Amino acid sequence: MKLRVNGKSAAVDVPTDTPLLWVLREELGLTGTKFGCGKALCGACTVLVDGKARRACVTATGDVADHDITTVEGLADGDVLHAVQQAWLEENVPQCGYCQSGQILSAVALLARRPAPTDDDVDAVMSASLCRCGTYPRIRRAIVRAAELASRRGGAP
Amino acid sequence: MSAGLSRRALLRGALAGGALSVGVALAGCGGSRARIVRRADETGELAPNAFVTVMPSGVVALAVHKAEIGQGVATAYATLVAEELEVEPGDIDFHFADSLPEFRTMTVEDVPLFAIQATGGSTSTMEAYLPLRRAAAAAREMLVAAAAAAWAVSPDTCVARAGRVHHPASERSFGYGELTRSAARQPVPHEPAVKRRDQFRVIGKHGARVDGRAKVTGAAIYGIDVTVPDMVCAYPIHGPTFGARPRQVRADAARRSPGVIDVLAMPWGVAVVADKYWQALRAARLVEIDWHDGATRGLDTATLLRAARAHDGSGAPARDDGDAPRALRHADGVTLDAVYEAPYLAHAPLEPQNCVAVVRGRSVELWAPCQSPTALQESVGEALGIGREHVLVHTTFAGGGFGRRLLGDYAVQAATVAREVGRPVKLIWSRESDMTQGYYRPAAVTFVRAALDPRGRTRALSFHTLSQPITVDSAETLRGGQPSWLPAFLRRSSSRATMALAASNTAPDMFACEGARDTPYQIPNLRVAYTPIDTGLPVASWRSVGHSINGFVIESALDELAHAANQDPYAFRRAHLRAGSRERRVLDAVAKLAGWGRPPPAGHAWGIARHTAFGSEAAEIAEVTVTDGRVRVTRVWCAIECGVVVNPDIVRAQLEGGILFGLSAALDQEITVKDGVVQETNFDRVPSLRMHESPRIEVAIIDSDADPTGVGEPGVPPIAPAVANAVFALTGKRLRTLPLQRAYDLAVRS
Repeated sequence: MKLRVNGKSAAVDVPTDTPLLWVLREELGLTGTKFGCGKALCGACTVLVDGKARRACVTATGDVADHDITTVEGLADGDVLHAVQQAWLEENVPQCGYCQSGQILSAVALLARRPAPTDDDVDAVMSASLCRCGTYPRIRRAIVRAAELASRRGGAP
Repeated sequence: MSAGLSRRALLRGALAGGALSVGVALAGCGGSRARIVRRADETGELAPNAFVTVMPSGVVALAVHKAEIGQGVATAYATLVAEELEVEPGDIDFHFADSLPEFRTMTVEDVPLFAIQATGGSTSTMEAYLPLRRAAAAAREMLVAAAAAAWAVSPDTCVARAGRVHHPASERSFGYGELTRSAARQPVPHEPAVKRRDQFRVIGKHGARVDGRAKVTGAAIYGIDVTVPDMVCAYPIHGPTFGARPRQVRADAARRSPGVIDVLAMPWGVAVVADKYWQALRAARLVEIDWHDGATRGLDTATLLRAARAHDGSGAPARDDGDAPRALRHADGVTLDAVYEAPYLAHAPLEPQNCVAVVRGRSVELWAPCQSPTALQESVGEALGIGREHVLVHTTFAGGGFGRRLLGDYAVQAATVAREVGRPVKLIWSRESDMTQGYYRPAAVTFVRAALDPRGRTRALSFHTLSQPITVDSAETLRGGQPSWLPAFLRRSSSRATMALAASNTAPDMFACEGARDTPYQIPNLRVAYTPIDTGLPVASWRSVGHSINGFVIESALDELAHAANQDPYAFRRAHLRAGSRERRVLDAVAKLAGWGRPPPAGHAWGIARHTAFGSEAAEIAEVTVTDGRVRVTRVWCAIECGVVVNPDIVRAQLEGGILFGLSAALDQEITVKDGVVQETNFDRVPSLRMHESPRIEVAIIDSDADPTGVGEPGVPPIAPAVANAVFALTGKRLRTLPLQRAYDLAVRS
């Protein structure tokens, strides 16, 4: 099976129903995508498939072959962080950090659809991701900051 | 109460112990002159103690001997070191310290020889505040002395600044990296000078987390991310009840599944071992297991709590001021006669329990997101029949902890499977195992009776709590505190003795009554008593421990008394606190922050609560509304006094986090057991607060010159009562049972 992850092509030899989460982590060594619940309840495994947020723990790898998959490792451009990552740093968002790859990718998908999201937009999208440390107030601020950063950088986040 | 061996001393003995341990290292026992010189000759590194190393590149390296569970300890420690070594916190190259003897800095007052490496009790910053600055200052003084010697000037005429030693008079300077070898030949200062607070450059000011970049790029390595050569993966299947052993395992089909190496029946369950974890997961579906009954078969928490409510006894007193029973008998009327109830709770850190184990003959190497490397050494050492000094633990980043990772059960499972298969093993629990095979915050039923005097002050209060003591399971986390040269059976009996001593000294149970026994409210007749419940359910410390229950009880009861006395809840509390006290100061601060007294928005109401815990004082006001039967918290104001603040933004983050962690539990969470089986298996049944219900939070930090005290846990206890008190103010319904949403639903129906 051929996968396209972070702009690169990779061949994996796994049954098509293998969860994408474990293929990313074990076959491709991309451990930034985390396992939290295995039932699409917590959002720690969120990745982008063709720009849309998907829970990798319940996504069959066969279903996303030949689609564009983005993980947290694929966001930065060399040393230049993605606007969302930069905003996360500036708001000191992460505590334990375990949920943040998923949170960041959910925010990237949100901002791609709504470059200036309302509070309701943030609630609707970000409520899929659970944070046991309680970083929500900072995530909310960081999304606003990322939107500003992205518009200053002159492009979609 | 004797100060001897309370929980305070137990986990906070680190205050004295930490200072002593690092002091010893500074004085030379931890790094003798010859060793420092030899290391510098061989590597070019200046390492005057186990914590701080100046590399020949000039970079300052720091061994963080605590678990980074999100509380920001790496940033706090880097800041302390940066302050004294005159570099930027973000430039410090930190790593997590291995389980070496010099990192056992947590000690217990009055218990000789006891020392563990552990992260808990909100102690990390208070423990390290002075010792780590001294460790860094020692390196700085040696660098300065070396530069001064090279220039043949007095060290007093030289200054360290931005990673260099300068001689301003001659405008000469050396980078730290140029000085490490010669500095290693300077005497190690016994009492290096540390800065006064008014001289701080980065303490109290610096913002950015030193682990931030790694955590937004996916580069941070948690236990679950560790790989070692030749490693295989294990998926553990645990029985339905606690301590259940497999009776019969049918695994022929699983063994034929691709990649499977073995399916092992273990004393604690079944391990499916495969080359890859996804292969183990696939094969696990094919395993059929008959289980023996575990110890908890027949246990039912609803029945247990009903029985506790029907309990008619007075308990063993933990505090007995005046004569509360007599005062209550002779009062004109008992104003309050109430029963409060709190459920069992799971920690549910987002990273499930996991461990990588490599067994080589009689030595073991572990990688784990753990809060107590010492507990892992001791429990794995015992399980494998080897000395704990042959168990080396590498601590990784941890995806939350909340107390769960003080235990070593998952490491024992990884190590025993690794020994069985003869290969390095990474063992990862399912979320279902984490929820149903945990160590839980115990449930509690608490009886409160109180009477007011004619002035409307509390004349008498009797508090009697029934809960399962966590001291027994805590003994697990404290094991390994005794020196390894003691024979194992003596070490075990010694740690039991430690706990027995602790329990007897603070009897009754030090955790069950904390936050009530030591309440600062001025009540002339005050009785706090405890009755233990025995269930066999594993229990352990859960963020803020006994305070998480007793904060709710005491602050709910005070609120009920305020309303009974027809007084404002803030003014009523204030009247029961000493004039000029820190408790009053912080309560006043939160009232001012929220603007207590002004009307809340239409359809909303406010509740107030305060609590002293982990050396700090926190007060909170919650703004609550009810929409379509759902209790919603819209805003929270919080004031804290926690001594000198190393990083104000991290303190705010910890308070926000403590409030949201406590609010998730207060509103919705409980662990229930039916016939010995935990009913809540994943996040659908243990809901955690999400973005759309996350309140706006404002935190005010009260300035203080005192040494730092805890911040990781003190935010938790006041939130549940603040919300319950707000619900009463809004609806007139007094919710005395947690979780509050269930109690509210019941109150509405009845």
